[in-house]
Amino acid sequence: MKNKIVVFGYNHLSFNAISRLDQQQQEIVVVETDSTLIALAEEKGFNTKALDFRSDENLKSIGIGQDIDIIFCFLPNDSENVFLTLSARAIDTKLEIIAVVESPQASEKLIAAGANKIINPYQICGQKIYELIKKPCMTHIMDHTVFGRHDLHIAEIIIPEDSPLDNTYSSELMLNEKQNLVILGIVDKELGDDFLFILGEKDHKLDTGDIIVVLGPSREINAFKKDISHV
Amino acid sequence: MLTRIIVYFAYFLKRNKHHTKTKQFFYNLLENSESKMKSYFDAFMICLVMLSVFFLVYSVEHTLNEASEWLEQFVIFIFITEYLLRGWLYSDTHRMIIKEYEKADYLNIKFSLFKTFKKIVGKKLRYIFSFFAIIDLLAILPSYRPLRILRVLLIFRLFKLFRYSNSIKIFSDVLVSKQFELITLAIFMGFLVFISSIAIYLFENISVGGHIRHLYDAFYWSIVTISTVGYGDITPQTTGGRLVTVTLILAGLGVLSFFTSIIVAAFNDKMDSLRDNRTYDELSRYKRHIIICGFGRVGQEVAKQLKKDKLAFIIIDQDKNKIIAAKHEQYLAIQDDASINSVLINAGINTGATAILCTTGSDVANVYITLTSRYLNPTINIISRANRKDSEKKLYQAGANNVIQPFETAGLLAAGFIGQPAAFEAIRGILHGQKNISMDTLIVSPNSLLDKLKIDNLDLEKRKLTLIGVISSNKKHLKHRNSYQVKNQHFYFNPEKYFELQEQDILVVLGRKYSIDYFQDQIKQSSLGL
Repeated sequence: MKNKIVVFGYNHLSFNAISRLDQQQQEIVVVETDSTLIALAEEKGFNTKALDFRSDENLKSIGIGQDIDIIFCFLPNDSENVFLTLSARAIDTKLEIIAVVESPQASEKLIAAGANKIINPYQICGQKIYELIKKPCMTHIMDHTVFGRHDLHIAEIIIPEDSPLDNTYSSELMLNEKQNLVILGIVDKELGDDFLFILGEKDHKLDTGDIIVVLGPSREINAFKKDISHV
Repeated sequence: MLTRIIVYFAYFLKRNKHHTKTKQFFYNLLENSESKMKSYFDAFMICLVMLSVFFLVYSVEHTLNEASEWLEQFVIFIFITEYLLRGWLYSDTHRMIIKEYEKADYLNIKFSLFKTFKKIVGKKLRYIFSFFAIIDLLAILPSYRPLRILRVLLIFRLFKLFRYSNSIKIFSDVLVSKQFELITLAIFMGFLVFISSIAIYLFENISVGGHIRHLYDAFYWSIVTISTVGYGDITPQTTGGRLVTVTLILAGLGVLSFFTSIIVAAFNDKMDSLRDNRTYDELSRYKRHIIICGFGRVGQEVAKQLKKDKLAFIIIDQDKNKIIAAKHEQYLAIQDDASINSVLINAGINTGATAILCTTGSDVANVYITLTSRYLNPTINIISRANRKDSEKKLYQAGANNVIQPFETAGLLAAGFIGQPAAFEAIRGILHGQKNISMDTLIVSPNSLLDKLKIDNLDLEKRKLTLIGVISSNKKHLKHRNSYQVKNQHFYFNPEKYFELQEQDILVVLGRKYSIDYFQDQIKQSSLGL
């Protein structure tokens, strides 16, 4: 099933985000009012729509409240993003809303308006610079491997129904020996929706629907996915 | 003949290394404010001045013994030597002779020794009449026996302190910068005092029933009145005298307020550079620090993190409001353009700075700062922010070690969140060190418990750590699978059980901060072989 995504606002951030997304698995529409930006987006081969986000009718017309799963609020102003988040949340309570924030104070407002995830590019950048100073080695590894340039990914794997992993324990996985994958953490549905790192402190019982987060080459990840769905 | 000898001698001095070296030494000792020697010398001179003034005060009520006389002689000797050395350093006589000689030679005119001599003397006279030289001289003169009457001038030795203390020097600089205003005021005041002295002398002379005995009394009264001090030991008795007094008091108020405003304005002008100087002073106390150019949102975030880690840093930004915000957070900050060489040099790019962060919002500025920094210091670590993809390459060309694109990373995270929110959380957790969990590196020190250890025996489970991989430049490991080239090293992901660690390998582990720290301490301890 394809995810339907609407991206509001076309800029560096939206471009980067869209190009990271798998175009095959997602249906992406860029909404923008500026005609020059629309032209730019079309040049890159994205589907675009010239719409004013301020009217609820317009939002409904592109499918919010019906079949849209996710929206990105990447408008240039915090106030616009808050407005959009608020309008979208009012139309669809289950919608996944990811918003960018310019000034740190606005992130609370966005959460209050109903955004699921806040992205602060400046904070992330600042953090990264700090990492580079503190742990240069570490950051290079992450950059070169996980962040794309080599085939090493962080992936999450949902335990399907009737999987051999159902009712086993996380300590029994031994992924690093059997599958050449390193397990980072788990979302144990019995304990809530939070992501928990696995550090050998606590043994988690795995059930259908739990999510395992692993690090490894994509071939191994796919192999592992196949293995666990097999009965 | 004499001319030729002198010119020859001048060339001899120019070539003489010993002479140049000696002069350089004394320059460092006396004038070069960046040399360590000068600060020791200044401290020594301050002590000397204080000591000699102490003896002066002591001698008012006591007689001095022989030792203190000797000390006085010693002080004078030092003072005279210093005075002469400064005079010597003030200008290079032999260079002036050579210059004049070569000029004459080039223009094919006769070299005039007399004219050159006049120039040299002129230059030296300028030294003699400079403010500090006069004070130096006044500090020496009273020791000459026939001039003992000027003993009170020994107090000028205290003025010598001006030379050796920076803050007093700044004060005198402030006064000098307002020379014109102060001289105008002084002339005006001089007139005022002159007129009022004459007037009060005429009105209040003892012969007409007043208290003024002579012109000196009149002068003294004028000064006391104009400064609005008004002791009242001499008071006007006649109507004329009182009129003069009223006028003088009013004029005095004007003069005083004018004087105050000049000084205040001068200090206001100087205040910024004074503050900057203090910032630089504070900075020089750190041995290692980081320079942050641009205190925008990225700069603020970095500063916050560095502060948390108690790392020293200095912020340079052109925007006044941002500097105020930085100072509000008690950060060291300079309001200036970070692409100017002198600003970066003052910020310590060659003296203690370990990294430069270009975090301004403009890629143009970042490239320029990067280029300037790389030019000033070829080895420093430069991390720069790029807002556009095309700037990344330019920044690397300009000499940046690392380039970060805020929107790329943010876009990656945004995309990662879709479909894989748990993985997103994992990346975020690792990146931001949430819940005390972080990914960190452990270096295998030689002869430590890790050296030549097989991965299987690491016992990571007990230590509650997850091994992600090993970074190494050791060729021994190349046969292992899952190696990824990273810069000039290899990263071995999820190494096999029989992977044997070598010294200088780097373990990449995920775990809670204290588990990592504890393990690190163990490694360090074991490498000491105790």
